Amino acid sequence: MVGGPLGLSFASYIRSSRSLYKWAKPLANWYANISGYRKMGFVYDDLLLEERPDVQKALSRLTPRESYDRIYRIRRGSQASIVHHDLPKEQWTKPEDDVRYLTPYVSEVHKEDLERSKWDTMQVKRK
Amino acid sequence: MLSTARVASRRISSSNAKKSFATVVEAAGYKVSAVDNGEPTSSVTILAKAGPRYESKTGVAQVLKNFAFKNTSQRSALGLVRETELYGGVLSTSLTREHIAYTADFLRGDESFFVDALASSLTSTRFTRYELEESVIPAVASESTHAISDPANQALEIAHALAFRSGLGSPLFIPVQKSDLTAEDVKSYAESAFAKDNVAILGTGIDQATLQKLVEKYLGSAPATTGNKIAAPIKTTYFGGESRVQHSEHSHGALQTLFIGYGLASAVTPELAILASHLSTVPSVKWSKGVSPLAATLPEGASASVVLLPYSDAALFGLLIQAPTAEKAKEAGKVAYQALKDVAAGNVKKEELAAASAKAKFLATAATESREGLVSAYGPQLISGAASSLLSVADSFSKVDASSFTKATSTLLKSKPTFVAVGDTHHLPYPDEIGL
Repeated sequence: MVGGPLGLSFASYIRSSRSLYKWAKPLANWYANISGYRKMGFVYDDLLLEERPDVQKALSRLTPRESYDRIYRIRRGSQASIVHHDLPKEQWTKPEDDVRYLTPYVSEVHKEDLERSKWDTMQVKRK
Repeated sequence: MLSTARVASRRISSSNAKKSFATVVEAAGYKVSAVDNGEPTSSVTILAKAGPRYESKTGVAQVLKNFAFKNTSQRSALGLVRETELYGGVLSTSLTREHIAYTADFLRGDESFFVDALASSLTSTRFTRYELEESVIPAVASESTHAISDPANQALEIAHALAFRSGLGSPLFIPVQKSDLTAEDVKSYAESAFAKDNVAILGTGIDQATLQKLVEKYLGSAPATTGNKIAAPIKTTYFGGESRVQHSEHSHGALQTLFIGYGLASAVTPELAILASHLSTVPSVKWSKGVSPLAATLPEGASASVVLLPYSDAALFGLLIQAPTAEKAKEAGKVAYQALKDVAAGNVKKEELAAASAKAKFLATAATESREGLVSAYGPQLISGAASSLLSVADSFSKVDASSFTKATSTLLKSKPTFVAVGDTHHLPYPDEIGL
């Protein structure tokens, strides 16, 4: 996958420019709302591609509480999918609760993987 | 300085002291001392007074020792391992009941990297939760399981708990299943354990000025003493007691073990060291029978060894008896204890006493000849700031004559014994069956 487990992202570039951010943020909010995962009780990081060894490692590093909550959200969303209905409005994820809880762990694992491949492939020259 | 070491007294001679670690300098607030005798490799040890005796929660010292050389804010654990391998060096840690030591052995010329590695391990380890779960706890668990599977170690652990209760009686190997230590616990313990006045940095094979400069460079920006200081140790008291334990479930085919011990609530005395040498079953010539009174009439297959464990303000002396069956262990226990009582009754000839004294003197002096021995002998004094103010070994041992020796032994035997039986508890003897 291009860009590692989190994929390609221009987010940091957009955030670095005040005017670009002001223009892009409302668009991003609209997109996040319209994509509908919040109506099924998910947060964005529940949807990260998890069928990869680095994301699995990151998942193993979640705290027990975070892991429990994630599994609860996935089960609740699965149930909503089975009955072909969105969740009742009270259970929709609020925008302020849509925290990227898994991204720090995934980034750290990705960094470790890159470091390991660097050490594995470096050429050593003794002075 | 292994957790299971049973070493004789570590008193050192003053003439040795002049050649080694005689001067202590301050570098970045740490006490630094180094001696260079022209060895081809160098070694730097960071000794902290942070063993299980001083720990805030049970087991945190052992976990901290296993947290050495993990991710720091400067480099990752993987990077440290790979770079060390490229340089060709050894990083190790050790834990005794009173001290934690981080050691780096390396070729001359690589001091800069290795002192940096030690310094960052000391001050900027990240103590992440996932490292604790993924690598440290399994290492602690395997260490503990492996140690406790040996009934001799198990007996000594129990003996310490009976003899000294808290402080020195705290377990060296914790049963990890019951541990609820978090990374924050370990981090806060590390802050107090590695405070500047709790640590000494010793080097062998490295020039003192070089080491001082390196310490100032890499530890100069460390914060001053932070966090709660480790509480001053409570004065050690010797209690004694009796305990019987079934074998741990990991020890298949292990020997039946008895430990008959006595403790001193003061640092080891020359008389005690001479007693240990007199009874010691380790012969001076390998494979010979030796002259120990203990070895005289032991049943076949049984073994008896003398254990002398010196600490800064206490000592544990005892006989460790092991045999394949409980009956042989009982016989061997009776024989061994009788030999000890004979000594206390004064049945020691002048020549035997002279031989034991010479042996004890040799062991004490030879102990400081290895790097480890030197560090473990001098390190604790450096931390407490006391100069090497010990009597010379020759003086202290030559002052012991037959009467003071007998008196010391009989006083020792008057205190409450520590009796531990590990193995088939239904058939192993009780203290009164041995003669205690």
